[in-house]
Parts: sequence; C-alpha cells; structure tokens
Amino acid sequence: MATYIIRRFFLMILTLIGMSILIFVMLRLVPGNISDILFDAAGMVNEADKARLEAELGLDKPIIVQYWTWISGLMTGDLGYAYVSEKPALDEILPRIPVTAKLALLALIFSVLIGVPLGVISAVKQDSILDYSLRVFSLSGLSLPSFWLALLILMAFVHYFGWIPIYTDKPASIWHEIGLLSIPALAVGFRASALIMRLTRSSMLEVLRQDYIRTARAKGASTASVNYNHALRNAVLPVITIIGIEAAFLIGGLIVTETVFNIPGVARFLVEAIRWRDYPIVQNLVMFIAVVTVVVNFLVDMAYVLLDPRIKYDD
Amino acid sequence: MRKTTTLAVAAVGVFAAATLPAFAQKSGGILKVQHRDNPASLSVHEEATVSVQMPAMPIFSNLVLFDQQKKLQSVDSITPELAKSWAWDDSKTKLTFKLEEGVKWHDGKPFTAADVKCTFDLLLGKSKDRLRKNPRAIWYRNVKDVTVNGDAEVTFVLEKPQPSLLTMLASGYSPIYPCHVNAATMRTKPIGTGPFKFVEFKGNESITLARNENYFRKGLPYLDGIEFKIIANRSTRMLSFVSKDFDMTFSSDVTIPLLKDVKSQAPDAICELHPQYVSRNLIVNEKSPPFDNPKVRRAMALAIDRQAFIDILTEGQGSKGGAMLPSPEGQWGMPKEVMEKMTGYGPDVAKNQAEAQKIMTELGYSASNTLKTKISTRNIAIYRDPAVILIDQLKKIFIEAELEVVETSLWHAKVARRDYTVGMNLTGVGADDPDVNFVENYSCKSERNYTQYCNPEAEKLIDQQSTEADVNKRRELVWKIEALLNEDVARPIIYHDKSNHCWHPHLKGFVTHHNGIYSNWRFEKVWLDK
Amino acid sequence: MATADHQAELTRAGANINSSWSRFTYYVRRYPLGAAGALIVIAFVVIAIFAPFFATLDPTTTNARTSLAPPGGQHFLGADFMGRDMWSRIVYGARISLMVGIGSTVLGCFFGVIIGLLSGYYGGWLDLITQRFIDIMQALPLLVMALLMAASLGPSLENTIIAISIPIIPHVARVIRSNTLALREMPYVEAAKAVGMSETKIAFRHVLPNTIAPLIVLGTAQLGSAILTEASLSFLGLGVPEPHPSWGRMLSESAAEYVRTAPWLVIFPGIAISLAVFGTNLLGDAVRDILDPRQRS
Repeated sequence: MATYIIRRFFLMILTLIGMSILIFVMLRLVPGNISDILFDAAGMVNEADKARLEAELGLDKPIIVQYWTWISGLMTGDLGYAYVSEKPALDEILPRIPVTAKLALLALIFSVLIGVPLGVISAVKQDSILDYSLRVFSLSGLSLPSFWLALLILMAFVHYFGWIPIYTDKPASIWHEIGLLSIPALAVGFRASALIMRLTRSSMLEVLRQDYIRTARAKGASTASVNYNHALRNAVLPVITIIGIEAAFLIGGLIVTETVFNIPGVARFLVEAIRWRDYPIVQNLVMFIAVVTVVVNFLVDMAYVLLDPRIKYDD
Repeated sequence: MRKTTTLAVAAVGVFAAATLPAFAQKSGGILKVQHRDNPASLSVHEEATVSVQMPAMPIFSNLVLFDQQKKLQSVDSITPELAKSWAWDDSKTKLTFKLEEGVKWHDGKPFTAADVKCTFDLLLGKSKDRLRKNPRAIWYRNVKDVTVNGDAEVTFVLEKPQPSLLTMLASGYSPIYPCHVNAATMRTKPIGTGPFKFVEFKGNESITLARNENYFRKGLPYLDGIEFKIIANRSTRMLSFVSKDFDMTFSSDVTIPLLKDVKSQAPDAICELHPQYVSRNLIVNEKSPPFDNPKVRRAMALAIDRQAFIDILTEGQGSKGGAMLPSPEGQWGMPKEVMEKMTGYGPDVAKNQAEAQKIMTELGYSASNTLKTKISTRNIAIYRDPAVILIDQLKKIFIEAELEVVETSLWHAKVARRDYTVGMNLTGVGADDPDVNFVENYSCKSERNYTQYCNPEAEKLIDQQSTEADVNKRRELVWKIEALLNEDVARPIIYHDKSNHCWHPHLKGFVTHHNGIYSNWRFEKVWLDK
Repeated sequence: MATADHQAELTRAGANINSSWSRFTYYVRRYPLGAAGALIVIAFVVIAIFAPFFATLDPTTTNARTSLAPPGGQHFLGADFMGRDMWSRIVYGARISLMVGIGSTVLGCFFGVIIGLLSGYYGGWLDLITQRFIDIMQALPLLVMALLMAASLGPSLENTIIAISIPIIPHVARVIRSNTLALREMPYVEAAKAVGMSETKIAFRHVLPNTIAPLIVLGTAQLGSAILTEASLSFLGLGVPEPHPSWGRMLSESAAEYVRTAPWLVIFPGIAISLAVFGTNLLGDAVRDILDPRQRS
C-alpha cells in the first residue's frame, strides 16, 4: 500500500509538471498579448512602443527562457508581477482565494445537504410519484443556464425586497459574509446537488439490492434502520468520489456566478486575466486550481483505499 | 517686455457664483459610483477610455478645464484651474499661463511651473522618463517647447498659430503630472493636485479616492471620498443601481432600451440622454479589389439607410452627421442643407439606393451575380449589432456579406495590417474640436489613424483650419473637410450614438457634459443631500 | 449485453420480444421520463433539420418598424430589437444548438474513444503518457478549458464546437480505457489472438463494439451540458457569434436589456434552452438505466 501511495504521489507531481507546460503553451497560443491589448485599448498603433513594452515584460525572449523564468521563480515562491496592475502576482491572487473557497465550500455543503437526502428518499421510494418529481426537480437544476438562474434570483430579490444580495460593501463580519455568499452558493449548489442526488440514488439502489441488506431485513431490522444505517453508509463512498470531481466542476460554475453576483473571487478574476492576457496571473492561478484539484483527487483516492478494502492497489 | 493680449482672466471668485442655485451644500459622505470594467491603469496620459477618465480625473488638475457646471464644452466654457489666467502673444504662437501659488501635490511637495514643463516634455517625448503609450502625442504636434519663467509662469511655444490648443488643454485628458513621480508610479499610485487623493485600486474590484484636505480651492471638495465599484455584468449594475446601492451609474451606461427598465424601478432617478461622441462608421479597404474601384465605394456610401440604423439601435434618438458631432450638442456640426448634399445623406433613401443599384448593375452585379465579401468587426455587441444591419442593407445593392467577428483585442492591429475588406468600426473623440478629431483620425501621420487614410488635399485643409482664428471661417473649412471625407468614402459615418447617465436625486452639483464624456469627472462640487 | 437483461424481463413479462411495438410500449411504460425526454429531443431534431420549413420568416432580416414587436400577428413570438422574428430565430437556433451539442459531443467522443481504446488496449508507455495527459486535462475546470480554447481559436461556430469538444475527450477516454482494460481479458479476445488476428484489428473489431454502450451513456449525458457550456461561453462573450442565432447569446444579451420591457426576448430562448437540455438529460438518464448494467435500477 505504501508503494501505491508513493507511486500515486509521483504521478501527481508528473501531472502538475505537464499541466504547467500545457497552460504555458496554451496561453501563448491565444492570439494577442498584453501589449496588443493595451495599445488596442488606447486605440493606437505604434509598433516601436509596443515592442519596447514587450521587451520590458520579457515577452520577446524565447519561449523556453520564459518558461524557465516562471518555473524557477515558482520554486522560490516568486510568482512575478501582474501585467495589468504591476503588483506582485501573489498579492493579487492570495486575497481572492478565501472568498472563492468560502463560496465553494458553502455551495458544496448546500449541494450535499440537498442532494444526499433527496437521493436517499428517491431511492427508497423508487418509482413512486415522489421519486419522479424529485428526479424532475433535480434534472431541472441541471437544465437551467447558470447565469440565467443567478439573474432570476437577483431580479426576484430586487423586485420583492428592494435589496440586492451582492458584494457592494466589505462584509462587516463573517456572518454577514456568509449571508451575502449563501444566495450565490445556493445558486451554484442547486446545480451541483442534482449530480449528487442522482449518484446517491443509484448507489443506494445498488446497495439496497445487495445480499446483506436482504439478510438484515430477514433478521427483522426495521426498514428505516436498514435504509439509513446499512445502505446509506455504503452509498457514501461514490458520493465522496463525486465531491472530488466536483471540486473542478464547481470552479466552472463559480466563474458565471461570481460575475453575476459580483463576488471578488478567483474564478471571475481568472476570466478577466485571460481577457487581458495577464500571463503571470493566469499561469499561477491555473496552477493553483490544478494543485487543488489534483490534491483533492489524490486524497479522495486515498480515502477510497482506506475505506474500501476491496480495491486493489495496482492502479 | 512682451506685450500680451488677455483673452480671459477669471478671478477665483467666479467659482462660487452663477450656475448652482444658492442653497447650502452639505459636506461629507462617500459617493458610490458604478464602474463597468477594469481600467488598465489610472495614468490618464497613457489611456484613452472613459473607464480611466471617470475614476482618475478627480485625482488631477489641469491648467484650464471645461466648466464642470455647464452642459456644453466650448471655447467659452474654459475655466481656470492650476492656471489663474492666460494670454496669447501678438504672433499667436506663444500662450502664457500664470499659475496658482501655494498648491501642493498629494504627497506634500509644492507644485511649480517646472511640473507643467515636465508633463509636456513627457508627452512630447523629450524627457528621459517615457510613457508606455502616448495616445495623444498628436494633439501637441504643433508645440515646439514649453518654457518656464520662474515658479509661477509657463509659456507654450508653438510652430504656428493654433487657437485650439487651449481647448485641448481644457480636456479631461490633459492633467498636469508631477516631475518627482515617474511614469510607472503614475500608473499604479497616481499623485495629483486634484480634489481627491488616490487611496487604493483593487483590480477588478474597486477604486477608492479620499478628500484632499489640502486642495488649493478652500472648502472644496464637499465629499469625503468616492468609491468606484467595478461590476462587470450590466444586468447586475442596473439592478444594484435601482436598489440604491449606488448613487450614480457608469458614464453612458444606461442605453435607450435600458432606460425604461431603470425608470420603472427607480422612477425618481435623474437620467440624462446625451451623445457620447462615439460614431458608428464603415471602413473600406481601398487596396482590396473590387473595393479599389471608387464606384463600388460610392455605391456603398449611397446604400446606407442611416435612419434605419438610428431607429433600430437607438429607438430614433441617435443623430445623423459627419465626423464632427452633429448640432445642437456638437459645436462644429453641419447645417442640414450642407449635410444633405453629401453622398448618401439625401433625404430620399429610396432614390439613393436606386442610384447605388444602378452603379452596381453597370458594374455587372445583379441579384443572381452578387458581390461576395466579408464584413469584419469586433466581437462585442455594440460593434456586431450595426454590422448585422449593414449586411442586411447591402443585400439591396447586390452585396452579399458575411460577418467576420474578430477577437476584440486584435481589432486595431488587424485594421492597421489592412487585413480586412469592409469593417464596422466605432470612433470616439476626446474633445469637440476639429484639431482633435480630424488630426487623430484622418491625418497621415497620426498613430490613431489606423485606416491610414491620407489625402494631401485633406491634409492641407486640416492644417488650414487649425491656424484659423475666426470661428465662423474655421467652421466653413470644417464643413469643406467633411465633404471631402465623404467624397473619399474615408470612413462613412453611419450615426452618432446617444445614451443615458443616471444618478439618484440626493446627488447634487453634478452636470453631465453633452458633447464629450471625457471631461466632466472632477467631482469637486458634487455633494450628497442625505 | 446490457439489453439482454431487459430481453429476459420482456420474456418474463410474457411480451412478444419480436414485436417492436410491444417493445416500444414496454420501454415507454418502464421509463416514462425517458420517453418524455426522447419525445422532446426528437421534436428538437425535427425542428432543427426542417428549420426552413418551420420558420415563418428569414431569421436575419432586420426591420426598424418591427423592432421589439410584442408577440402576435406576423411575429407570434415577437421580434427582437433589430426587428428579427423571434420564432424563426429560435427555430434556426435549434439548428445551432444541436450542431454545437451533437458536433462537440461526437468530436469529443471520437477522439476520446481512440485515445481510450489505444491506451487501454496496448497499455505500457503509451498508456502512461495518455493517462498523464488525461489527468492534466481533467485538472482544469471544464469551463476554463473551453474558455481558453475559445479565446485561442477565435470566435466562430466551428471553433466553438471544437472548444467545447476538447474537455469531453479526457472524460470519454477514461471510461473507454477502463472498459477496454476489462474487455482485454475476455475469452473471445484471447481466442482472436490465438487465431493470429492483428492487435489493431482486435482492438477495433472486437473491443470497440463492446464499448458502444458506455459511450452512448456518456454521449447523451454530455449533449445537454455541451449546450449549456455554449450558453455560458456566450454569457462571457465567447460563444457562437452573430449572425448565427444562438440561443445562448440571445438569452445572455437580451437578459440584460429587455427583461422588463420585452420579456418575450428572454422567456422564449430561456425556455428553448432549458427544455432542450432537460429533454436530453431525461433521455440520458433513461439510456443509462437501460444500457449500464451496474447502475440499473
């Protein structure tokens, strides 16, 4: 098992190195660089000044040199300077992470709180009207464009309460902040809960058909106890997996939600940075997201290894 | 001794007077303003967008400035700022400013005439320090030198007379920078002498300004500070304005269709409809066959149904005109009878289109043998929407165009490379003066003339109007240039857009300029009646 | 092999397994939600294919006089601010959405299958490399990946399809690979090897057909999400550009300006997207229940 963990660990490192190359190359394939954008914004064409700016930012150097500059900086904790704000990239990225992390965590909690119970009920009452309506409800969560759902929520708030739940002031306290974040988190969580509900439902159904459940029933255990003690516990495992997968899925959903609810998190910041071709921000931010995703997946795998003795350790 | 003619001397006292009704202004409060996108920097001299002007202008002072309390910018609305008074010499090539004394930069250092010289040396490329981008260098192409006479007097020396210099200096685009702060710092932590000090710029989030306690105009500004919040999504901006989270919208943010929506939810909001001085125009690559044929270009100019564009895109509110902003807001607009003589401006659209059709038929095109081409434009709605209408209109003259949307950051570069045949373009103008508009967009050497239009005759007329002191004679020359540009199909102007700027009624002392969006953001007399 | 089980059930139910009608009614009764989904999807496909027949007007003709015309009369779903007929735009929009949905899914599945099949069947260094590549691609959020691709390819219908298809590849490749790993050990593959069939031939002749079931499951599940990804890209300004009537762009652009003054511009494209995605999701769920023996309920 130790060798399995070590092997997985090295593969994880390999993945991250590959990721750094991929994002670096991909970014430079996107047409235009910061200097094109700055000059376009000023509505002017001046090749000499443009070239001077490129040289100033080191964009005229061979791509391998640029890559090495980045990676060697990363090793020493130097993320370089953001092109647009001319501030250290770390100072730009770091303060935005907690905001997104809180939002993502809140969304995840909501999606589990909604998804797991509904999935269990739906499975236990399989093929009943309740099951069908719950499935339709969860599927509708997956069918609405997320920006549309978010905008509808905002409009409803302004219309009925004359108040808009967006980040316009600095939150006074953590509770105020959670209050502000809970509505967007609910919008993201609703979508994510549909996935969790479906998965919980199908793994519950699978478990419910297993022999030991039948045995437990035969031994006279109450239906409720069988359903919730035996079945749910075994159905949790695949749910953990989907939470791992969703770490990445959530970030995607957050881009749109952070834009609509004007939340100063990393997801929207990433989109803006891509628009400006702000390489130091995009590179480092994408690497950060990749590290989070890869580490979460690694931990999920480890959880699997620990929780499920049936898994063999040879990848 | 130099003899000077005093054109305008305004005492400091003028400021307290006139346009504002006499009720007590309240001091204090933070003004909350919406912002639509992340400005690249706050260094006014390096940028050319209202995204920078709106939050950066309160930080700075000019020598002279368009009156912040009047709706129209004109030669007559130029008021003193860092300059107490100014005067031309007899040759009209030397403009001397007497400066305010005892003015301090936000970091406490004294402001002197040397700072004025430093600013213009920077713009003229004469100083060691350099701007990354210098989009308005062409404004000062006629400035030979700026000389300092002591700490409180400065003289602009011109190659030849140019009355419009004062107009350009009065634009929000012409702040004075300090000598002791380099260009790079000005981008991130700007230092000015203006009513508000820069506090913080959080990328994609907010820009915060605080009252300058040592502002050289005593008792001003009224506000304790201004906070600009960047909200990228327009629906969110509108909703947060009607829910009163903000005092003011972003400049021209409330389009004509949006106005109804805003008014229905915030009926007492004050909204002013005004032109932005941004025209939609058609650009045609005359090097690319068959558009190298002037007849084809003429047919296109004839085929444009301007009223249809205005009706669809602005619900009839936009205005027809040439390159200069049309009257009544524009100071240089053509009278109707002059305008209607130009190609494609005649009131009988059907007649124009019939003429265009005839030209195309003579060239061998017909409904079955169409001229196939591409119309390129930026991938943003304000560019795409008029392009879609243009494509539809060109069908009538047997041109079958396909829309090519271009990644927005690459647009200028693509046009400058001449990598297009027909394009839909937007042109914004910094100040309502022909020396700004024509020189930037139509003179041969301008870096902002990315269509590379270059006609020696136009060049000559542009120079001629620039030196002309008589406003009426200058106006006639401007109309002549308009006619020439129209004939050359240089950049057929389709229409000039209008949009709304809104604020809640508790915000007082703010006036929107109606012939330019870049110069009315000093905010020194704005106050909150809360 | 998955359907074999249903066949058994059908026989048990006493139905005539040779009658396609009774088989059809069996499935409809067994999976009412799936049947509803199939109905919706079929309706959209028919509308998309015969768009010129369903559309009442040209979807790109602008008209100042009918700008923002409310529903009724000639424009029975109203007209947009350029005076273009809403119904016709939605009808042609079905074409665009299905092209994006099906196009990107098919493209993503195609490359995903090739990569998954080769990597699962041949194993070794090829597998190791492709697995890392897939890991890398999956570490990036789908929308970020699509965003980067859309930005680098430039705005056009084709490029939007490609951009959306790329994130599908690793997803498909991973599932196909694990299926192939299992299939490799099957007796009939061993037998084919024994008779001297070439490896590539075995991979494509014997292994590939057996991955079809999980592929259909994945594909139908991706269809809806591809349509939604296009809508999100449109919202961020990187979706299918004009003049194509894309539902995503119609919704995201008019949502801002006309939600109160001309709600029909917002409601109808919203319904179109949600219904189409809802239909594909319902269908996808049923297909998974039918074809995937592990998740059968």
